[in-house]
Amino acid sequence: MASALFYNENDGYIDGILRGYFSGILNQTQYLNFTQCETLEDLRLQIGATDYGTLLQNEPSPLATSTLSERLTERLVDEFNYIRATAVQPLSKFLDYITYQYMIDNVILLITGTLHERDTHDLLERCHPLGQFESMPALCVATTVAELYNTVLVETPLAPYFANCLSAQDLDELNIEIIRNTLYKAYLEDFYAFCQTLGGPTAEVMGDILQFEADRRTVNITINSFGTELPKEDRKKLFPTIGRLFPEGNAKLAIADEFEQVKATCEVFHEYRPFFDMSTSGKTLEDKFFEHEVFLNRLAFQQQFNYGVFYAYIKLKEQEIRNIVWIAECISQNQKDRINSYIPVL
Amino acid sequence: MAPTTLFRSEEMSLIQLYIPAEVAQPCVAELGELGKVQFRDLNPEVNAFQRAFVSEIRRLDEMERLCRFFNTQIEKAEIPIRPLTAAAYGSRARSAQEIDDLEEKLKEHEGRIIQMNGSYETLQRRYLQLTELRHVLRETGGFFEQAESRQDTIRNSMDEGDASTPLLEHDVEQQNHDEMGRLNLGYVTGVISRARMQTFERVLWRSLRGNLYMNSAEIDEPITDPDSDEVIDKNVFAIFAHGREIINKIKKISQSLGATLYTVDDSADKRRDAYLEVTGRIEDLNNVLSNTSQTRRAELQKIAENLTSWTTVVRKEKAIYHTMNLFNYDVNRKCLIAEGWCASNDISIIQHALKNATEASGTNLPSILTELTTKKKPPTFHRTNKFTEGFQAVIDAYGIARYREVNPGLFTIISFPYLFAIMFGDVGHGFLMFLFALYLVLNEKKLAKVDNDIFSMFFSGRYMVLLMGLFSMYVGFIYNDMFSLSLDFWKTGFDWPTEYNSTDTIEATPNGNVYPFGFDPSWHGSENFLLFSNSYKMKQAIIIGVIHMLFGICLQVYNHVNFKNKMFIWLEFLPQILFMSSIFGYLTFCIMYKWSVDWWALDENGNHIHNAPPNLLNMLIYMFLSPGNVNPEEQLYPGQGPIQTILLLIAVVCVPWMWFAKPYYLKAQHNKHHYQSVAGDDDVAYDEEQNGHAGGSNEATEDDEEEEEFEFSEVMIHQTIHTIEFCLNCISNTASYLRLWALSLAHAQLSSVLWDMTFKIWFGFSGVIGVIGLFIGFAMWFSLTIFILLGMEGLSAFLHTLRLHWVEFDGKFYMADGVKFEPFAFKTVLEAKSE
Repeated sequence: MASALFYNENDGYIDGILRGYFSGILNQTQYLNFTQCETLEDLRLQIGATDYGTLLQNEPSPLATSTLSERLTERLVDEFNYIRATAVQPLSKFLDYITYQYMIDNVILLITGTLHERDTHDLLERCHPLGQFESMPALCVATTVAELYNTVLVETPLAPYFANCLSAQDLDELNIEIIRNTLYKAYLEDFYAFCQTLGGPTAEVMGDILQFEADRRTVNITINSFGTELPKEDRKKLFPTIGRLFPEGNAKLAIADEFEQVKATCEVFHEYRPFFDMSTSGKTLEDKFFEHEVFLNRLAFQQQFNYGVFYAYIKLKEQEIRNIVWIAECISQNQKDRINSYIPVL
Repeated sequence: MAPTTLFRSEEMSLIQLYIPAEVAQPCVAELGELGKVQFRDLNPEVNAFQRAFVSEIRRLDEMERLCRFFNTQIEKAEIPIRPLTAAAYGSRARSAQEIDDLEEKLKEHEGRIIQMNGSYETLQRRYLQLTELRHVLRETGGFFEQAESRQDTIRNSMDEGDASTPLLEHDVEQQNHDEMGRLNLGYVTGVISRARMQTFERVLWRSLRGNLYMNSAEIDEPITDPDSDEVIDKNVFAIFAHGREIINKIKKISQSLGATLYTVDDSADKRRDAYLEVTGRIEDLNNVLSNTSQTRRAELQKIAENLTSWTTVVRKEKAIYHTMNLFNYDVNRKCLIAEGWCASNDISIIQHALKNATEASGTNLPSILTELTTKKKPPTFHRTNKFTEGFQAVIDAYGIARYREVNPGLFTIISFPYLFAIMFGDVGHGFLMFLFALYLVLNEKKLAKVDNDIFSMFFSGRYMVLLMGLFSMYVGFIYNDMFSLSLDFWKTGFDWPTEYNSTDTIEATPNGNVYPFGFDPSWHGSENFLLFSNSYKMKQAIIIGVIHMLFGICLQVYNHVNFKNKMFIWLEFLPQILFMSSIFGYLTFCIMYKWSVDWWALDENGNHIHNAPPNLLNMLIYMFLSPGNVNPEEQLYPGQGPIQTILLLIAVVCVPWMWFAKPYYLKAQHNKHHYQSVAGDDDVAYDEEQNGHAGGSNEATEDDEEEEEFEFSEVMIHQTIHTIEFCLNCISNTASYLRLWALSLAHAQLSSVLWDMTFKIWFGFSGVIGVIGLFIGFAMWFSLTIFILLGMEGLSAFLHTLRLHWVEFDGKFYMADGVKFEPFAFKTVLEAKSE
């Protein structure tokens, strides 16, 4: 109750701004218009008619999909930065938490890239702008896990998450994957705990979203580890301990060997049951996860006085960018039969 | 054809144009210049990118992008662009051939500019590198000297550390060290942006565990980054460390953090040579750079001269094709069919324009204009001029008039300044306001170009302010108030006693003279002035309010006649006006009557003829509370009781009249209409109709789309609300006009307080203090008069006047559910874009 009373005092303005941004999210008709486009130029015309407005008007033709994606992301980052700059505690901390996941992605991207001896500058350009931090470029130098930690990560907010990874020695494909998942697990748990301290509707809304995120990761890790050399005890260590599957579900998944077992474990939960029903439509598990994520994020906007909307908006907007880029790719590669597999946000 | 007036909106016609496809573009261009037709979208179901002229629009979009590109380039080079002048507006839309040429030209320019930018950038990058190198060379000299001395200490400390080792070995090592030290103390030199310096140091320190010696110096010359065109502060750094591995690592870290590395020789002589060489090369490069920059500037200047007219042409063309996308092709695809609204009075002008356009393009196929009859609701178009524009805008801000309904804008021209003036009445303030507006009006050509939101708001209302100033002066004369002082023009109607003690209260006696205009100046400063002026201003507010509202109700008649609802005059207008005038009209009459009677007159016996003047407020209240009875002591005129009873009865009868007459009339009308349409062929429908309701639904489908379904209960509810609202509003709106009194009182008091507190207090002083005091006092008084009284008070009076017009006056008759006429005109297209 108290949070509702005083919410607008600190966060009312920025919440209003955000809900304004939210109303600019593309709706079904606009997607329908997009999918009818014959060329990228048509798409540019259509995007011009949406809230993106003049975003693309200064791009020379022909328009490339990569430019499109860059511009769209830029817009999202601008919006986020504006919100971040205006926010005060604890919202600003909450927003920082949102950036951590992009940091994790960037760190992993850079070390994987370095492992494959890719050009550093290309890698830096491909990093998500929301997850950039000052000493990030120096990641390219690191060759061992300890070095990675001591040189760069120790001064980033990711440092505490990294503490669990220090046991690994070399940076190889498998270890990087383990690092990624360990980091993510620690991040999710930390974020979840933080949201719970905020209490009120934030805790409720973010709780649902993060629990689903955790379950999704658990399921993904399980399925992806089939047939790899990852020991089962290690697999269990990677599972976030905040999901709805925790603890029995996690325990069962840790020893699962095939897809059917995963399905049986998850079907306990009514919401998760349809994900594993492969007979209907050609949608993959990943798509269904995305759909459910979008659904949860959209739900966040049904609640007043919660920070979940900020998280949800970024996620929805990301999905929207993915959708537009997908449509653009389908158009430019003449794959119009698959153009409708985007995931509608509204 | 109806003449053009401001009383009603223009009569509109739906016209259809058949334009041969080959002359469509010049024809639409001509119509765009004319700006008198609003085109309808004939293919609303077609997607934006599937329309006929999308490719042309896309081409023009590209050209517009080029124009914008030039614009940014020119702005960056700080070349003034010729502003959008009247001449530029005149640059005509071009033919297809000319557009092709223009496109060619733009592309050519773009190519050249991009090429020049490219080479300029390469040169600049080279220049950047050389400047950085020069700084590195200059700064590193010092570093090397320091490092040399440092090296000794490093070695010495190592010697000490090795003290425990056997002497012989030590000697060997020592020799090695002497050689190796020179060779192995590697170094990395380069430049990094100052903002990154800290991170850089930290990362290096951590990854090398402090095994390095780093030195850096700031470059005081600002360096422009050719990528972002931003000036960046940079630092030169030199890092000394042992071992190839470590040196490589340092190099890698520096590069990934965005540093540029430059190799420098460790011998001082070679460094000096390199330094001289670099300086020489920089000078050469400078020449080339300035040359390139010059040519680029020349090119841009050439573009800048024409850019405005190009942009205008491109925008006009784009607008033309956007408009043509609204058109339909005929079956043979030889003609474009356009539909649109235009004022009936303008049809001949449009025809003429079309003829001109077709003739100019040298074809013998004429464009055909036909007028269509339609039941569609035409848009509302009020032809305004620069004087009426401001007033109409005030009304349009409330709502656009329904097509051909009475336009309150016309009456607003006088009533607005007048109501404003009643609140603002002061000769001095009015005169200042008048002067300000006069300045705006006399310099309107020059000031129209000023681009400032607040100013343009005042500017668009300049004629309104002018009239407001004039009327304020007029009302000021009535109030006899000029900066809270009185004017004494004529002989006053009061005599002051000639002998009196300055502490006594004295009384002026009427001398039979009547002051010809406005308040008698003798009232000024008297103790009961406020009582007198309040009573006057309050009654004045009521009288003006009631007249204003009655007038508003009367305007309904014109609407009813015009919309062919003559019955509504009996069903709606009559009860309303009776209700209003039997209560508040009567009050107004009483006020006037009370003024006209000399309540203190005596008969020949010296007795009062009349009773004491009655209180009108109580009279009105008791008219309702005890109808028919009037206390003889408070009687206004003989026979008051019965008259008030009759008036009250009239008012009471009016309520059910207003309430039920109209819905039942509408129902009867509807039934009659329905009988006619279904008579004879469907008995079931007839029976249903007998039962009262229904009927509407099956009929509406076959009827014209314009006709709405008739639902009796809905009409009834609507009328109930309307009736209750009207009756309550009569009271509340009349009370609302009392704001005229309140604001006028506030204004007069504020201005007198200001006069007394800032200026008048200095009148008592003399000598130097008096002079300085008067000077400061006047400055304060005058500036506060401007800001508080004219600015804030004026704004508040303006808002209250606005409310009285929107709510109290417009609410009585103005339906305001029309659609604004927005003709296709290049002028609006260009103005919208240039914002």
